[in-house]
Amino acid sequence: MDNYADSTTDFSAPAMVEGIASVVKIDGKTVWLVPEQGSSCGSCASATACGSKGIGTTASRLGNRRFRIDNNANLAVGDRVVFGIRENVLLKASITAYAIPLATLVLAASLAQWQFGSDLITMAATVVGLAIGLGISRLEAGRLHSRGDLAPLFLRRARPGETCSS
Amino acid sequence: MKEYVLLMFTAALVNNVILGRFLGLCPTMGVTTRLDAAVGMGMATTFVMTVAAIAGWTVNTLLLAPFELGYLRTITFILIIASTVQFTEMVVKKVSPELFKLLGIYLPLITTNCAVLGIALLLVADKMSFIASILFALGSAIGFSLVLVIFAGLRERLALADVPRLFAGPPIAFIVVSLLALAFMGFSGMGAS
Repeated sequence: MDNYADSTTDFSAPAMVEGIASVVKIDGKTVWLVPEQGSSCGSCASATACGSKGIGTTASRLGNRRFRIDNNANLAVGDRVVFGIRENVLLKASITAYAIPLATLVLAASLAQWQFGSDLITMAATVVGLAIGLGISRLEAGRLHSRGDLAPLFLRRARPGETCSS
Repeated sequence: MKEYVLLMFTAALVNNVILGRFLGLCPTMGVTTRLDAAVGMGMATTFVMTVAAIAGWTVNTLLLAPFELGYLRTITFILIIASTVQFTEMVVKKVSPELFKLLGIYLPLITTNCAVLGIALLLVADKMSFIASILFALGSAIGFSLVLVIFAGLRERLALADVPRLFAGPPIAFIVVSLLALAFMGFSGMGAS
């Protein structure tokens, strides 16, 4: 029984999505970080053959994903840190960015089709539904941001040679 | 109403885009090492697949079909998908730069996702109506996301399993996805064909 208990993992324990980032700039009490390429694309078995790599996905866009955190750990340029985002935040963000506009789009299209039965009117309603959904998304994203839910958290300094997949 | 529900059910489970049509295998293997990546990718693909299907249907119905330019369909749809991804990226960035920082990384991967192109071509080939196209694309995308999430969960557990060296990594992942495909075969014959 003890062996069995030792070999199982508590899947409910880690509620944090972790990533590794490098410090690129120090600006007073805040530090700017650039996330390192995760395991999603670069470590894929097909990474060398995948077309996604050619059009500049992960690595080439990381520079655009700079984020800042408070420098409470005396970080210096070049330091590698482990940062975390709460798992439910990622789900909330996905729902806010994609599910809300999609739901209003489909709802508007379905209502228009049911009410008028014309493709042209349904197309117009789809556009209106999408616009309304994006408006709601914007409000919800603003609410999440103001509550600080979307901000990455500093967890610890990365060990030498530590990667996202290690 | 019933036919639309059946259409979505069929697209999501019976003719699942990954396990039934074998489209989108690159992201299936690439982003399912972590559950959070699978969720992000699944949501982004659902949005892009539906919007690209709408745009594809519109361009095909209003432009390609009336002017008999059907031979340009594939190249046009590739352009539409790339534009849709770019549009989505710009909109998410505009709506919330914070959301873009969290989720934007998955979007460019969709440009080369053959499942998006496959669905857009399928709904045109089946001569679906506008609303049927939306629901078919949405159902297919939900099925795609469902498989990504299930497979990511299985792979997270698989990472802890004692796998023989010969099978470690992609080989055991392919065996798992094939077993998943067998499980989905249980839906065969249900709903519309």
